[in-house]
Amino acid sequence: MSQFTQQIILGLLLGGIYVAVALGFSLVWGILNIVNLAHGALVIVGAYITWLLFDRLHVDPFLSLPVDALALFVLGYALQRGVINRVIRAPLLFTFLLTFGINLVIVSLVLLIFTADFRSVTPSYSGNGLHLGSVTIPYIRLGGLAVALLLAGILWAILNRTRIGAAILAVGADRDAAQLVGIDLRHIYALTFAIGAAFAGVAGGIISTSQSITPTAGDPYTLQSFAVVILGGLGRVSATVVGGLAFGLIEVLGQSAPGLGSGYAGAIAFVVLVIVLVVRPRGLLGRLA
Amino acid sequence: MTVGSLLQVDKLTAGFGLTPVLFDVDLELQPGELVAVIGANGAGKSTLLGALSGLVRLERGSVHFGDRRISGLRPEMIVASGLVHVPQGRRLFSTMTVQRNLLLGAYRRRDGRVQQDLQRILQYFPALADKLDRDAGTLSGGEQQMVAIGRGLMARPRLLMIDEPSLGLAPKVVDRVMEIVKTINQDGTAVLLVEQDVVLALEIANRGYVLENGRIAMSGAAADLRRDPAVRKAYLGV
Ligand SMILES: Nc1ncnc2c1ncn2[C@@H]1O[C@H](COP(=O)(O)OP(=O)(O)OP(=O)(O)O)[C@@H](O)[C@H]1O
Ligand SMILES: [Mg+2]
Repeated sequence: MSQFTQQIILGLLLGGIYVAVALGFSLVWGILNIVNLAHGALVIVGAYITWLLFDRLHVDPFLSLPVDALALFVLGYALQRGVINRVIRAPLLFTFLLTFGINLVIVSLVLLIFTADFRSVTPSYSGNGLHLGSVTIPYIRLGGLAVALLLAGILWAILNRTRIGAAILAVGADRDAAQLVGIDLRHIYALTFAIGAAFAGVAGGIISTSQSITPTAGDPYTLQSFAVVILGGLGRVSATVVGGLAFGLIEVLGQSAPGLGSGYAGAIAFVVLVIVLVVRPRGLLGRLA
Repeated sequence: MTVGSLLQVDKLTAGFGLTPVLFDVDLELQPGELVAVIGANGAGKSTLLGALSGLVRLERGSVHFGDRRISGLRPEMIVASGLVHVPQGRRLFSTMTVQRNLLLGAYRRRDGRVQQDLQRILQYFPALADKLDRDAGTLSGGEQQMVAIGRGLMARPRLLMIDEPSLGLAPKVVDRVMEIVKTINQDGTAVLLVEQDVVLALEIANRGYVLENGRIAMSGAAADLRRDPAVRKAYLGV
């Protein structure tokens, strides 16, 4: 297999992780109009739950994903209902400050509980992979991509096929009109944030299988989620999928370009981001306004 | 409180900031009535409906609906009690299908007759029957207004408040919409109608209130208001 095909595959696998991480971030941004700076902290809490279950009880990391989802759902609902709902109509700066603060608190708590030691989740099959010609695709990465696409499918189905999903979209589109059909805003706000947190938790579980985790290891994922949403566009699940995969591809292909190395990965991705912002501000697939 | 009133508004004062928009508004509506509220741009008509449906906070006064006091309740509880507000400008969920918009109208209902009601409501709006799968935003203005009213009806209201259904519609379409409003009322739903088209509103209404600068300036039988010289001069341009 050619070098180029390899790069494509690696890019899509990396993109899968970005998709998983960005789905919840994009939902919360699109519906609640909150750019959640605590998103990376929620991701890392999920990662630690998977690590804990693996380390103590030898639970397979993929089997612990539902536990991550449930725990983060509860945490997310409580956070929104108890803290964030109080500033939901406040200017963007307030929600920035608040979610930034929440991020600091969560990271500090994680540090207290788990210390700053590097942790990793290494199931017996973590070295194995699918051999395609000269490339090996790690099963773990493949599983991560599959879970990411599954998450996207679940989110799409919730939003487009259920009554609660209709309420969530209604709140995102027009808060007053939503109230006039009898939707309880506070509940839907909390539910939306909870779903976003649950998805972040699952993404964290996936991440724990492919990198070592520390309390601050989630922070870059907030910025990357932001980039994915800018790239793909806001307001559509498919936009996040395309944005995430594209971001992964750009990063991998960019660092293999002649004269560049892995150190440039982040820089290349953000250059592309700025170009997208200038040329097509609503992203590849985003809805207008 | 007047015996048997469906809606009773007493000394309602409400607004958005420091100075109220509405001052000491008294208004009353009997079961089965069609009552019009007319007034110039900015008189406070939409604010009045917002105050009744819980979107706008009351500063003073009270609102009773049926035998309950609803002032101070959250909007979703007011909808659940049967007082439903079809807002000015339709405010549809434009990227959702017509069917989803209509079903969202029944969001609070737990009875099993929602699908049945959807069919019943389509009889008021036959034009919508083959557009259920279209995104609401792609419909014409008249059709969108029908979806907005239909969405309100899906909540099974005892009182439907409709804000300027004729806004931005061609005259022919306006007539059609007004006819539907009248039919809905004749089928037993009380209606509080806010309308710029004063002639049409007073034609189909039983009674009317004239709102001026946030105060009730006049009220009475629709036929009397139509003949009133002050109303004719201010709103009919004659
Ligand atoms: N959300 C708001 N915040 C602040 N002021 C508002 C708001 N909505 C309306 N107002 C003000 O309240 C007053 C009454 O507005 P309202 O929309 O109730 O009038 P209206 O009679 O419905 O007019 P129109 O015929 O133009 O719909 C106006 O001065 C308006 O500027
Ligand atoms: Mg108005």
